[in-house]
Amino acid sequence: MSTNNVTLYLKAEQNVELQSEDVYVKDIGKMTCSDEHILAKVKTLKLHHFKEGEPKRQVISILKVIAEIEKTFPNVTVENLGEIDVLVEQINVNRHKGPVQMVKIVFVSLISFFGTAFTIMAFHNDIGINEVFTKVYEMVMGQSSDGYSILELSYSIGLAVGIITFFNHIGGRRITKDPTPIEVEMRVYESDVNKALIETADREGKMLDVH
Amino acid sequence: MFIRQIFLALLGASAGFIVSGGVFTVLISVGLIPRFAGKMHIARHIFALEEMVVLGTLAGDFFSVFSDYGKLGEWVVSNQLFGRGETEAVWQAIGNVLLILFGIFSGIFVGCLALAIAEMLNTIPIFARRIGFRHGLGLAILAVALGKLTGSLIYFTQAVYLYG
Repeated sequence: MSTNNVTLYLKAEQNVELQSEDVYVKDIGKMTCSDEHILAKVKTLKLHHFKEGEPKRQVISILKVIAEIEKTFPNVTVENLGEIDVLVEQINVNRHKGPVQMVKIVFVSLISFFGTAFTIMAFHNDIGINEVFTKVYEMVMGQSSDGYSILELSYSIGLAVGIITFFNHIGGRRITKDPTPIEVEMRVYESDVNKALIETADREGKMLDVH
Repeated sequence: MFIRQIFLALLGASAGFIVSGGVFTVLISVGLIPRFAGKMHIARHIFALEEMVVLGTLAGDFFSVFSDYGKLGEWVVSNQLFGRGETEAVWQAIGNVLLILFGIFSGIFVGCLALAIAEMLNTIPIFARRIGFRHGLGLAILAVALGKLTGSLIYFTQAVYLYG
């Protein structure tokens, strides 16, 4: 091992999911160092062990990581360029597979389908859409409509085009390369949840930190 | 006459376009579907959920705008689809199943939507902070749910919708 001081650059991630019971330094993010030998050794430093029956979730402060590294390698300076708290979750490989997940997808799909159907019907009922259409038809054509007119048809087509433009995909195919609004919301939601979990762990003193 | 029809078509299409934008902005900004997907760990299948949102809206649009063509039960019974004389009984059963499906799932959706909107306006955190409320948030949520249930039952059983 060289006696010269080297700097190790670390880019910690906000949330990592592991399958193993042990958490190593290499799991919490990406890192680089001019000394390949030290880099390889640092990566295999153990940070935490998930015991049986304990919560499968642990927040690790970057200070703890730096302290661990500098304890074993006193001549390494750690520069963190990423997150300052890392949420580590242990997941079971086969948890999300099989019929249970299928049932969940069907369940949420049914809620989405009937829920939005109800929402748009309630909205139309609220604004009295059929009366509005009758009035508009009379104003434009000078006579009352017999049944349904082009107005209802074009409204429905407009609604469909609007939704498809909004959600940016049709039949499983993206129209442009942008993420869809729900995908964006999904990432925002995930990041909010991670932040809340980290804050809670900090407040309750359950974070793996230096003292 | 023809020009007027074109005008109506343009009017209708623009109305539909703007309405879908408005309705879905609200729906997206309360973040209901990401939350469902997050809770159920099915974020990878978010495409399927979006398709269901699109299809659900179009189905709801059809049944409320073209309600005269949406009389499914009347059509089934008048065509005697499940055999002469038996169709009424069979459709009674199928119709009830459809109604239960619609009721339960749209109920879950509206329940989540109501609380999600309340949460988006930060009603609960602000109120909890004002009165120094620290423990028993679960109980408060349960009370909200029971209150909604009671209110809904009173609304339907006492026919509140008749007098506004």
